[in-house]
Amino acid sequence: MFGVHKKLERNSIAFVLGVIVVASIGGFVEIAPLFTIDETVEADPDMRLYTPLETAGRNIYIREGCYVCHSQMIRTLRDDVERYGHYSLAVESKYDHPMLWGSKRTGPDLARVGGKYSDEWQAQHLRAPRSLVPASKMPNYAFLDRIQVQPDKMASHLRALRTVGVPYTDEMIENASADTIGQADPDGDLSDGVYDRYGAETNVRNFDGDMRKLTEMDALVAYLQILGQLTDLPDAPGVEPSSDTPSEEDNS
Amino acid sequence: MTFDFSPAERDAAIGTSFVAILIGVVMMVSSQSAAFTTHGAMFFAFGVLAFFGFAKDYNKPQAQPYSRDVYYDTPIKLGILLSIAWAIFGFFIGDWVAWLLAYPDLTFDAAWSSFGRIRPAHTTAVIFGFGGNALMATSFHVVQRTCRTSLPGRYGPIFILLGYNLFCLLAVTGYFLGVTQSKEYAEPEWYADILLTVVWVGYFFVFLNTLARREEKHIYVANWYYIAFIVVVALLHIVNNLAVPVSFGDTKSYSAFSGVQDAMTQWWYGHNAVAFFLTAGFLGMMYYYLPKAAGRPIFSYRMSIISFWGITFMYMWAGSHHLHYTALPHWVQTLGMTFSIVLLVPSWASAGNALLTLNGAWDKVRDNATLRFMMVAAVFYGLSTFEGSFLAIRPVNSLSHYTDWTIGHVHSGALGWVAFITFGAIYSVVPQLWKRERMYSPALVEVHFWLALAGTVIYVFAMWNSGIIQGLMWRTYSENGTLTYSFIESLEAMHPYYIARAVGGLLFLMGGLVCAYNVWKTISSSKIVGRVSTSPDGVLEGAA
Amino acid sequence: MTHDFFVMLSKSWGLFYLIFLFGIAVAYALWPANKEKFDRAAKSIFHDQDEK
Ligand code: HEC
Ligand code: HEM
Ligand code: HEM
Repeated sequence: MFGVHKKLERNSIAFVLGVIVVASIGGFVEIAPLFTIDETVEADPDMRLYTPLETAGRNIYIREGCYVCHSQMIRTLRDDVERYGHYSLAVESKYDHPMLWGSKRTGPDLARVGGKYSDEWQAQHLRAPRSLVPASKMPNYAFLDRIQVQPDKMASHLRALRTVGVPYTDEMIENASADTIGQADPDGDLSDGVYDRYGAETNVRNFDGDMRKLTEMDALVAYLQILGQLTDLPDAPGVEPSSDTPSEEDNS
Repeated sequence: MTFDFSPAERDAAIGTSFVAILIGVVMMVSSQSAAFTTHGAMFFAFGVLAFFGFAKDYNKPQAQPYSRDVYYDTPIKLGILLSIAWAIFGFFIGDWVAWLLAYPDLTFDAAWSSFGRIRPAHTTAVIFGFGGNALMATSFHVVQRTCRTSLPGRYGPIFILLGYNLFCLLAVTGYFLGVTQSKEYAEPEWYADILLTVVWVGYFFVFLNTLARREEKHIYVANWYYIAFIVVVALLHIVNNLAVPVSFGDTKSYSAFSGVQDAMTQWWYGHNAVAFFLTAGFLGMMYYYLPKAAGRPIFSYRMSIISFWGITFMYMWAGSHHLHYTALPHWVQTLGMTFSIVLLVPSWASAGNALLTLNGAWDKVRDNATLRFMMVAAVFYGLSTFEGSFLAIRPVNSLSHYTDWTIGHVHSGALGWVAFITFGAIYSVVPQLWKRERMYSPALVEVHFWLALAGTVIYVFAMWNSGIIQGLMWRTYSENGTLTYSFIESLEAMHPYYIARAVGGLLFLMGGLVCAYNVWKTISSSKIVGRVSTSPDGVLEGAA
Repeated sequence: MTHDFFVMLSKSWGLFYLIFLFGIAVAYALWPANKEKFDRAAKSIFHDQDEK
């Protein structure tokens, strides 16, 4: 035993391998079982996919670093649940590449903010948060009104997402551009296709109150309004809160 | 620089400059987004500058032929200067971010300057820019001195430093332009990640190659820590950044992982970035510069070995303490918590080892600000690891998670430990490298020390207060069982602490500026000594 | 390869492996014959001159 170690020490390559082996195992032990977790998390056939417009909105959320101030992960704690709604389930971020759970709550949790406010409120709040909430520390995002969404790019985004495992169909990818426009144009011809492909519960409306152009404001509000709305929860929010409610995947 | 290179290295230098130019051109031509074009242009410009830099002396004879017996200090000097430059930039952005949380309108009405974009610029600039350059520079210094041999070649280390700083620039400018993967501490997009992988593999080979040429049988323990830092960071970087780009020509990519798996992979990365970047690397620094400046061998060499393996073994298991009470399976959380608590043992072994080394040299600690920087670093290392193990306990974390307490913990580690040990190393190494008797002004080192200490203490106390108040307000119930405080009320309660923190940060930034000035004057002063006095007991008679 | 299998593997062998290897590292560090080498190593940093 000692001899082996002496060699290991003398020989830097072996030393490096030693470090790799020793260091990887902990990570393996923690992570590997999670890749088989689908077996334990009940598959949810009703889990809806993000529409192309919502995907665009999600990308804006990432680009602007909203996640540095907002979490999207309601913990299994009583006060978390009472403040923000039913604790987050693993399935709910199943299609989130990457996840946006966050680590800091300078602002409130957003995991279930969808439907909490009107579109007008959301858009105005993004433009000038302090006009609605004077004590807010949130930056102004008025510039989102000025940038237009590029619908023709969304097909390649959905394709990349399919490569990493999100079950977008060929039809969804082909119609990505049309659906992006259609979702924000409730009276137009393209909106029917959005319902067909993404389900009757999809929000199809103009999100920023300006029909003339499809802006990043539309996309971001569309995304915010879908947060927490992609699947039906097993039970109503706040039903079983305790100070330490174990999560459903708890199998220890 | 070129006049140090052998003819073959000169060609390699010119060749890689062309490769950078070519990559820039290809990126610009195939670009489908403005940001990608800008980054192509940066590759291009970097290549052109490098080309002219290298070509200038292309035909001059080699100043000093390569020899194993001549230490090669150019990359160390370069790394130290870059580290200081990034420090100023990173502290400045950090303090700006801090003021923004007190007064959110203290910014331009422009997308690039909004909080969510500049905060990652702060973390990247300080961790990778300031910390990373200091680690590279000191690792080149320590490995040569302890192995008594030169780096294996002259261009390799320069290439690594330049490539690494190009990566940092792409990262930071990327956030301003809205390019980010959103993975904390791994924000840069796929093309920057590829560049870092190439650079890092190069770094690995240069370091290993130096060890292989050593003239000492035993590898001094500081190098072990540096190796662990290099190897594990490579592993973490590659796994966590696996992603599929939308197309070549687009900055955007989608992570290969999603949901729970992504969360665990991300925090396996995130926590071990702390462990192997912000801890192991800087412990390497500490295990060389601290005993050296104290003039006393490390208190227990055995202990340094045990804590090395302790840290290498255990950190990897602890990442899930970032995900307590989330949708992550319960047993993984428990595993992370358990290991985080055990981790305190090797962590305190290192901190204790450092402080016991100083036992008997307290007079030097009193008189020598450089050594005092390192002592304070060891103390804060002990404090922040204790705090970390405490925060990893589930019920404690239920209070601290998502609050400023985490920020306080981060900065007691980042300012008190990482920055203090780095400044200690900088003040040790600068006079030696530039062959000056001592720093230009020992008094200014003293000033820096007190500014930095005051800044750190104010910062950390402010965040402890605000974090705990915030956590308590969120969970306070009134008698009839409803939540007492709205979120906004908790937000308003933070205001005074945010101002205090920003003031602390300002002091810390001023300290950084004093350091930069002092280093600049040291380098540009003309007092050169033939050989730096590494006096018999090894004390560098640097800043008194 | 089921989830339960991995969890079982992690919880049992993961830990055994860890304790075993860590034992080796400690034994190496405390092995009496290594003491002299370590003492030399600890002092080695004072023997380097700046120019070799
Ligand atoms: C500096 C940190 C910060 C950043 C960055 C930030 N926010 Fe906020 N956000 C806050 C704060 C603080 C509040 C609470 C006060 C308020 O309602 O304005 C808030 C509130 C909100 C709310 C209302 C939540 C509720 O339940 O009342 C939404 C929605 C929101 N933010 C969305 C966003 C989006 C989208 C982004 C990115 C474009 C973003 N925020 C970026 C700090 C931030
Ligand atoms: C002048 C000194 C500094 C100031 C004023 C400062 C300020 C800040 C601020 C305001 C934040 C954001 C906190 C929030 O979102 O609530 C932050 C985050 C952070 N800073 Fe600093 N910082 C400084 C130095 C450093 C240094 C030297 C390091 C590392 C070596 C560092 C590492 C970090 C990290 C890792 C985070 C992210 C923390 C998290 O997400 O939990 N900072 N800093
Ligand atoms: C024994 C050692 C340590 C342990 C067990 C530990 C544990 C923890 C815990 C529990 C958290 C909070 C996670 C959360 O609630 O979100 C955390 C966050 C953090 N720690 Fe430590 N810590 C240790 C040492 C250090 C050191 C020395 C540093 C050096 C700078 C450091 C840097 C950080 C950073 C940057 C974060 C913030 C991550 C984020 O949310 O963005 N830690 N640590």
